[in-house]
Amino acid sequence: MPDLIERLTAALRDGEDASALLTEAGDARGELEDCQSLIQSLEASFRPQEIRPDFEAELRRELLNGRGARVKRVRPTPARVRVAALLALAAGLLLLMLRRLFGSDAPQEISEEAVATPL
Amino acid sequence: MKNPFARGTEHAALDDRELVALAKRDKEAFGQLYERYLEKIYNYVYYRVGNAQDAEDLSARVFARALAHIGKYEDRGLPFQAWLYRIAHNLVANWHRDQGKRKIIALDDYVAHGLKSEAPDRLAEERAERDQMLEAARRLPEDRQQLLILKFVERMSNAEIGEIMGRSEGAVKSLYHRTLLALRDELRRTRTGGESALRENEG
Repeated sequence: MPDLIERLTAALRDGEDASALLTEAGDARGELEDCQSLIQSLEASFRPQEIRPDFEAELRRELLNGRGARVKRVRPTPARVRVAALLALAAGLLLLMLRRLFGSDAPQEISEEAVATPL
Repeated sequence: MKNPFARGTEHAALDDRELVALAKRDKEAFGQLYERYLEKIYNYVYYRVGNAQDAEDLSARVFARALAHIGKYEDRGLPFQAWLYRIAHNLVANWHRDQGKRKIIALDDYVAHGLKSEAPDRLAEERAERDQMLEAARRLPEDRQQLLILKFVERMSNAEIGEIMGRSEGAVKSLYHRTLLALRDELRRTRTGGESALRENEG
């Protein structure tokens, strides 16, 4: 069986007809058909991934510039983290602006009111 | 007389053994090895961890470690890439240990090239099938995952896979057979589990 599977894999890669191999399998035809389906699915699923050119170039520089043992993280910050950081920054600035516009007495007044309110 | 430490394009003509000998003293030679193997190592790591960001991090560490230890590298008759894959294998194993064993991570940027023009339903269906296949593959033992990646992504022969995995060609062939059967069973379990859950939800 392992030999048949090897030949089947090669045939499928080359786009050849595998029916002769299935016939040759005899009683094991069902198992070989299962393998045929899996091999086709694996071929479609395991595709080479492209590397980001920035990553490739930056890592090369890092390695060859004498800091290979301390390679830093060269990937960019994820978009959602960048958005969250921007929102936090904007909220902080807004808070500072509001405090400047309305002065620092407002919290104090609220606090005094709260103390004066009967339980 | 030809300078044995000549840089640049001359390195490209050297074989791995010559480059490794040079790389012990010459970083440009290491750079050539890096260019030769980055894509392979990246793809191996990518399919082991399932996302591009961790694949980049781990690939960077593989080459940093290789550079740090290349001075002690001994040629024992195995191809240089077997050493790189061994480093990658160890780093991926550590990564999985840190992440929690058998944790399944979505293949975040798994975009099938060439399918963009097809109907969205068909695209989604094909993507779901691929995700299911890759997730099932990643539940297999490490050696079986490695075999599938080397065979289907790197398109290596059984002899080349055997050199990297430290097995004979015949042993790789048998392992491939067992891997396909295990993958078939894993997919059946996944599909049966999914259908049972669906029935429970409907019932």
